[in-house]
Amino acid sequence: MKIGTMFKDVFASLFKKNSTQLYPFEQTPTPERFRGNLHYNPSVCTGCCLCVKDCPAKAIELVTLDRAAKRFVLKYHMDRCVYCGQCVVNCRFKCMGMSNTDWEHASLNKKEFTVYYGKEEDIETLLANLTAPDPKPTQE
Amino acid sequence: MNTLTSLFTMLFFPAGISLILVGMFYEWIDRKLVARFQNRIGPRWFQPLADAVKLFAKEQIKPGIVNPFLFFGLPVTALAGALTAALYVPIMGLNPASSFDGDLIVTIYLLSLPTMCVGLAGWNTSGRFSLIGATRSLTQLFAYEAPFLLAMLGPALAAGSWQISTITEYTEGHWLILTQPIGFLVALIGLMGKLELPPFDAPEAETEIVAGALTEYSGRGLAMFKIGKYVELIIGLSLISAFYLDGVNGILEFLLKTLALLFIMSMLQVTLTRLRIDQTVGLWWRFGAILVLIQLLVMILLKGWAA
Amino acid sequence: MSIEERLSQAEKLLAPWNKETLHPESNRVDVVISGEDLRLAVAALQDAHWGYLSAITGMDLGVESGQLEALYHFCNGPAVTSLRVRLPRSNDISIASISDLIPPAALFERELHEMLGITITGAALSDRLFLPDDWPDDVYPMRANFTTDQAAPVQGRHADEAPEQGVVGGNTFVIPIGPQHPALKEPGHFEFTVDGEIVTAARMRLGYAHRGIEKAAESRNWYQNLYLFERVCGICSHTHSMAYCLGVEKLAQVEAPPRAQAIRELVAGLERVHSHLLWLGVAAHEAGFDTLFMYSWRDRETVMNLLEQVTGNRVNYSANLLGGVKCDITLEQAHAIKEGLNYLETRIRHYLEVVTTDAMFLSRTRNIGTITKEEAERFGLLGPTARASGLVRDVRVEAVYGSYKNFPVSAVTETNGDLEARCVVRLKELLVSCFAMRTILDNLPEGPLTARMPRKIPAGEAVARIEAPRGELFYFVKSNGGETPARVHVRTPSLCNWVSVLEKAVGRQLADVPMLLAGMDPCFSCNDRLVTVANNDQHETWSWSRLREYGIEYYKNR
Repeated sequence: MKIGTMFKDVFASLFKKNSTQLYPFEQTPTPERFRGNLHYNPSVCTGCCLCVKDCPAKAIELVTLDRAAKRFVLKYHMDRCVYCGQCVVNCRFKCMGMSNTDWEHASLNKKEFTVYYGKEEDIETLLANLTAPDPKPTQE
Repeated sequence: MNTLTSLFTMLFFPAGISLILVGMFYEWIDRKLVARFQNRIGPRWFQPLADAVKLFAKEQIKPGIVNPFLFFGLPVTALAGALTAALYVPIMGLNPASSFDGDLIVTIYLLSLPTMCVGLAGWNTSGRFSLIGATRSLTQLFAYEAPFLLAMLGPALAAGSWQISTITEYTEGHWLILTQPIGFLVALIGLMGKLELPPFDAPEAETEIVAGALTEYSGRGLAMFKIGKYVELIIGLSLISAFYLDGVNGILEFLLKTLALLFIMSMLQVTLTRLRIDQTVGLWWRFGAILVLIQLLVMILLKGWAA
Repeated sequence: MSIEERLSQAEKLLAPWNKETLHPESNRVDVVISGEDLRLAVAALQDAHWGYLSAITGMDLGVESGQLEALYHFCNGPAVTSLRVRLPRSNDISIASISDLIPPAALFERELHEMLGITITGAALSDRLFLPDDWPDDVYPMRANFTTDQAAPVQGRHADEAPEQGVVGGNTFVIPIGPQHPALKEPGHFEFTVDGEIVTAARMRLGYAHRGIEKAAESRNWYQNLYLFERVCGICSHTHSMAYCLGVEKLAQVEAPPRAQAIRELVAGLERVHSHLLWLGVAAHEAGFDTLFMYSWRDRETVMNLLEQVTGNRVNYSANLLGGVKCDITLEQAHAIKEGLNYLETRIRHYLEVVTTDAMFLSRTRNIGTITKEEAERFGLLGPTARASGLVRDVRVEAVYGSYKNFPVSAVTETNGDLEARCVVRLKELLVSCFAMRTILDNLPEGPLTARMPRKIPAGEAVARIEAPRGELFYFVKSNGGETPARVHVRTPSLCNWVSVLEKAVGRQLADVPMLLAGMDPCFSCNDRLVTVANNDQHETWSWSRLREYGIEYYKNR
């Protein structure tokens, strides 16, 4: 029976560096397999939607602008995603990957949490369709 | 002139505001040391001050069923007791501001006043956790008070007086830590009990009774109780260093000695587990009291022999 | 005794009341009995000491079939016998309680009652355990015809059974611990009646983090459910996901390849290290020994970084896939894991020494909360809490699954049954796990990582039992041949261990109560509730919505 069994640890730690990491000033690099934000490569996608089917959080929506011409836009809800990686596993053409550098989400604006992936012109077309008001009947 | 200097002493230096600020500094050192011992960073230098300022700015919520006179008056009394004790104790390495025969007993009583106010405050708010915390606080008071008083009595016997300034005159040149080591140990650990530092923090064991007697306090009241604690810390440390570590010799020595004592106290805080209240009382009444009585007996015999 | 012998012994014991026998899997036998014979059948199994009650599953067999079913699962080594009782679907069905024969059944039966509406006759307690107090009567969530708009809270509802409140002047006193309390890491509500510092009675309410996962599982497909069940718990998430995968793989009659099974065991071992170090810190914090708390959690960072390297996340690793695992172990990672394990083993040995020799920590843990072997068996304890009393209940040893046949672990037991023994058992288990992990890393079998799984799982019922860090985890998976499960029932180990805390708290000091709570390593699942004392005489129980309204009114009127 002793008293103060942790004395050695305690005294030695006066001379050691503390183990607190002063984030965000000090950041350890994340390992390669870290599952951060989803990244999507539209050029390889065939629109099979297996990723959408198995997402546990309904965080992915695939909008087909033109199936034959392979124009797809992936709408990714960063705030709903649980970062499980099932979509990456399901994709047979390797168009999805989880980044290990892009994972800091704090934001003051909710709009940043909905990300559109795709070719530039496809995204613009999609957004234009979404925000355009219903066309008024033209006056004859 | 005398009243003006007394007022200045009481309000600004060395008691009063400067005492509060130095108390906060010591509290910061304690927290920083504990953090470093636990391999963490710890707070920045102004943390206790910032805490006090924040608490003063917050709303004070009074539970519906308490006696308002007691609820608002007890924190003030606690702080007042601690600050008044500073008048008779050689703080900051200067001689006590005023003294009279028997002021050792008065000081020790004044130092128990914060604990009794906490106990009364807990009973008054009568929440479940406060009641248990108050009971434990007062039980602990009965446990360590007697050995602590006896440990303070050691130097008083050696000096042959109950007056603090006479005792400190005697201890200058006599390192009583060497001749009365047990008394020193009991005094130091008794101070930890008085301040409710681990391992004697059963009265405010946060994992059992949330915050003990002060659970219902917030805002100004809580700030005043806390500041009273900080002031008690520094008064206790200066009393022990004046009695056992070569009296009063100026600010630099005061700082060095009290910081050394604080280092030892932080080390003890970190390496020991919290004791249950029955274990605390058992420990004090079995070991603490007996040890210090043996010490006193030895001293009395030696003094009688020498005379 | 082999599995067949055990099963035939059970069948013989149950022969007088047996209406029908089914053999859904090679290690299981299902015996259909009627509700009246339930107590006799259970008594027969108890008298012959055939296994222990592991879980009680309630199922709704569908609106067309018009029946509900309750399954009582008894486990003896690897063999599982389920007593099936079929009841008609109505609002006033009842079944006799078996909680006097088997104390832990009380909690399982309340789940049956609250979720399916089967009244339990002869039970001692009748107030709500999982559902909130303002849940409407006669609405049972697990029934097939339940819709969420039926669950609107009832205004002005009070608690069913009020605890006796002590007046301030008297000696007895009720101390509420929870739902919010620094002693609890997750919300739960306990009421301890104290006399001075000694506890004289204990009462408990759970349900504060109840998320309705079992019901949610019925509307998601098999792959989505994998991630849903992983999130039942943060500290034992891999074991939940492993149990689910094992259950579904049994239904599809697919076995994961050996490399995948070994990797599953490796990740489970790392998770066990993480969980027990977390527990050590929490127990030390409850005792007031903050230094041990800080140091053990600092060392936990090592294992979490290893898990991040291997699987990609520190918590909720998502390492499993139906049919295998997602992530492979490269040589570098194997090397990093071995180095990490070296460091961790040194630290664990140091903590073992601290826990067994530090005089003041021992004064808080030695001979406190002692549970003897007989009591442990009667209470139906599981996991390290049972093993500390000398009762060997370890699924990895009794009912070997996965790659534990190739890389076995031994069960660590102690005989004292007090809090110190529980600390020692958990730490020694970690050393055993570290040894097993090294063996796996040195002998990782080659091969594919996943086996092919069909999208529609064939119809059937499977039982998967896994040893989570807290005890035996029991999963009952039923499929109707579609893409979504028909029923998944999860029985977490902490549910069985609660009874021991309540019984042992009586007679001890109040200061020991948080240690007792921490000693069984609770992993709660709960709902929201609050007790207020308006003044010394009255009391009320408020729901969250009522508290919120009160707060809004109070500040409006200031």
